[in-house]
Amino acid sequence: MRIVVLIKQVPDMNTVKIDRATGKPTLDGQRVVSSFDEYAIEAGLRLKEQHEGEVTVICAGPPSVKDAITRALAMGVDNAVQIALPNANDIDTLTLATVLVVEIGKLEPDVVLTGQNSDDYQTGHLGPQLAELLGIPHLSSVTRIDGGDSEFSVQRDTEDGKQVVTVSTPLLLMAMTGLNEPRLPSIKGMMAAKRKPVEQVTADLPSAAPSLSWSEPFVPERTVTGTVVQGVAASEAATQLVTWLKEQKLL
Amino acid sequence: MGKGTGILVVAEVGEDGLRTGSLELLTVGRSLAEAMGGELTVVVPGAEVVEAARTVAASGADRVLVVDDERLASFTSGAWTAVVVHAVAETNPAALLIPGTTSGRDYAPRLAARLRLGLAADCVDLAVEDGALVATRPILGGRVQTVVRFEGDGPWIATVRPGSFERAKPTGEEAEIVSLTVELGDDDLKVRVVETLHEDTGGKRLDNAERIVAGGRGLKEPDRFNLVEDLARALNASVGASRAVVDAGWRPHHEQVGQTGQTVAPRLYVAVGISGAVQHLVGMQGADYIVAINRDPDAPIFKIASFGIVGDLFEVVPAVIEEINAARA
Ligand SMILES: Cc1cc2nc3c(=O)[nH]c(=O)nc-3n(C[C@H](O)[C@H](O)[C@H](O)COP(=O)(O)OP(=O)(O)OC[C@H]3O[C@@H](n4cnc5c(N)ncnc54)[C@H](O)[C@@H]3O)c2cc1C
Repeated sequence: MRIVVLIKQVPDMNTVKIDRATGKPTLDGQRVVSSFDEYAIEAGLRLKEQHEGEVTVICAGPPSVKDAITRALAMGVDNAVQIALPNANDIDTLTLATVLVVEIGKLEPDVVLTGQNSDDYQTGHLGPQLAELLGIPHLSSVTRIDGGDSEFSVQRDTEDGKQVVTVSTPLLLMAMTGLNEPRLPSIKGMMAAKRKPVEQVTADLPSAAPSLSWSEPFVPERTVTGTVVQGVAASEAATQLVTWLKEQKLL
Repeated sequence: MGKGTGILVVAEVGEDGLRTGSLELLTVGRSLAEAMGGELTVVVPGAEVVEAARTVAASGADRVLVVDDERLASFTSGAWTAVVVHAVAETNPAALLIPGTTSGRDYAPRLAARLRLGLAADCVDLAVEDGALVATRPILGGRVQTVVRFEGDGPWIATVRPGSFERAKPTGEEAEIVSLTVELGDDDLKVRVVETLHEDTGGKRLDNAERIVAGGRGLKEPDRFNLVEDLARALNASVGASRAVVDAGWRPHHEQVGQTGQTVAPRLYVAVGISGAVQHLVGMQGADYIVAINRDPDAPIFKIASFGIVGDLFEVVPAVIEEINAARA
C-alpha cells in the first residue's frame, strides 16, 4: 500500500502569547508538527503495519520544516519530500494544493492522509482541495479506520453521531482527535531518521491572480459583556461569584 | 460565468430537522443581499426536506430551491459538492454562504477547488466594503483574528461559524419553493453511508439538565476531575466535559458537550479549565448564564461568559465550593 501523509509545521500553540502593546500574537516560538497531523502520521504507520507498503511524508515550507520531517521519519515514516516555500501561510490553500498535488501525484498513493486542520490557520481546506484535484474521494473528521486492502470502513464525527461509511482506494482521509494515540519517536527511530531519504523540491507557484488576501493576525476588541474578575485572591473571587450567583437567583 | 448578483445560502438539515445555523445564514445573507443588491436564494439539499424548506421560505428568503433526493439522506461530500455546484450554476450569485458545520467545512473546500474560487473558513463576521465581500475569521485557537478580503469576480464563498448571527424569524411572507433535480453520477457517490451510530448515554442525558458544571484539559489529570464533580454536587448540577478530556478517556462520551457531543441549554453552565474552542461553544452557548474559570485571560470562553474568573482553577474551585457551602449553611 502506498501511503502519503501531508504535514504542516506550525508555532507551538503553547508558546503563542499575545503582546498587549501591539495587539499582535508572538509566533516566533518553537515550531512543531501541527497536532492533527500527528494523528495522520500515526494512522499512516498503522496502515503500513497492517497492509505493508511504504509511508512518505510531504511537507512544504521554509528550511525549518526539516525538523517536522525528521520527527515524522523518527516516528517510523520511510521517506520524505521537502518542498521549499518561504511561507506556506502567504498563499491561499487552493494554490498550495495545486503545488502539493504535483508531488503527491508522482507517488501514485492508495491512501493520502492529512490532519483535520492546522493548529494555526485552522481552515481545514487542504484535504478536500487535494482530493478534488487528485480526483479521489475524501473523508473529514475521521475517528476510526478499519479495513481490507482496497476497501475501507471509516467512522467520522458529525453533529448527529458517528457516521459509518465504506469507500475504496484511492482516497484521502483527514485525521481527527480520538483516531489514535500518536507514538513518540524512539531513540532508535531518531538515529534511523538521519539515514532516511529526503527529496528536496522547489515549488513552482502558479501566477494566477489570487482570489483572496488576508490581514496580519490581530487581537479582536474584547466584546466581553459579562463581569470578569482578575488579579484577586481565589477566596475573594469565590465570594464575588457566590454573590453574583445569588443575585441571579442561581443559589 | 461573469460577475454574479445576489446571495446563495445552503441550508442544512440534520436528523432533528433544519439546523439553526441555516437560519443564522438567512440573517446575514439578507443583509449582504441588501448591501450588494440582488436576491437571497436558499438551496435545501436532503431527503424529505419539504418541511425545512417551508421554514426557510417563511424566514426571509426570496426564493427556495429544494433538492429532495433519497441519495441525500445522509451527508456525503461528493453528492453535496455536485448539488451545490449545480445550484451555483443555476443562480450565479455574488456570494455563497455555507454553514460552518462538520458537513459544511467538509464539502466547501472541495467545491471551491472544483470551481477554482476563493473560500474563507469559519467566518464570524461578513461585510461589504467597496462592493467586495470582507470576512473576519478566528485563527490560532480563537484568540486572534484575521480579515479576509475577496478579489476577482467570484462567486465568493464563506463557511460561517454557527452562533455568529441571530436566527432569522418568520416574516409573515412565503417565498416561492422550486424543486431542482440534480444528476448524480458514480463519481459523486463513491462514499457509501452504512449508518450513523448514536452514543449510548446510559440513560443520562445532558440536554435537559438545568445546571451543568463541565471540565476540560485544564484539570490536568483524570483524578483531579473530582473538583468538577464536587462543584457540581455543591451546585446540584450535572457533570459535562470537553472533547479533549473525553478523547483522553477521562470521561464518557455522553458527557461531551459540543459540536460532536451534546447540545445543551441549561440555566447555568460552569466551564472549568475549558478554553472555549468553537466546537465546544456551539454546544453550550444557549445557556442562560455562563461562568468560566480559566487562568488564561485571552481564552475565548471569556467572550461569552456572564461571569468569569481569571485564575488557577485548583485554587478557585475549592474556594468556590467552600463559599457555596457557607452560603447554604
Ligand atoms: C470537527 C471537530 C469537532 C469537535 N467537537 C468538539 C466537541 O463536541 N466538544 C468539544 O469540547 N470540543 C470539540 N472539538 C475540539 C475542540 O476544538 C477543542 O480542542 C476542545 O474543546 C478543547 O478542550 P479543552 O478546552 O478542554 O482543552 P484546551 O483547549 O487545551 O483548554 C484547556 C484550558 O484550560 C486552561 N487551564 C489550564 N490549566 C489551568 C489552571 N490550572 N487553572 C485554570 N485554567 C487552566 C487553559 O488556559 C486552557 O484554556 C472538536 C474539534 C473538531 C476539529
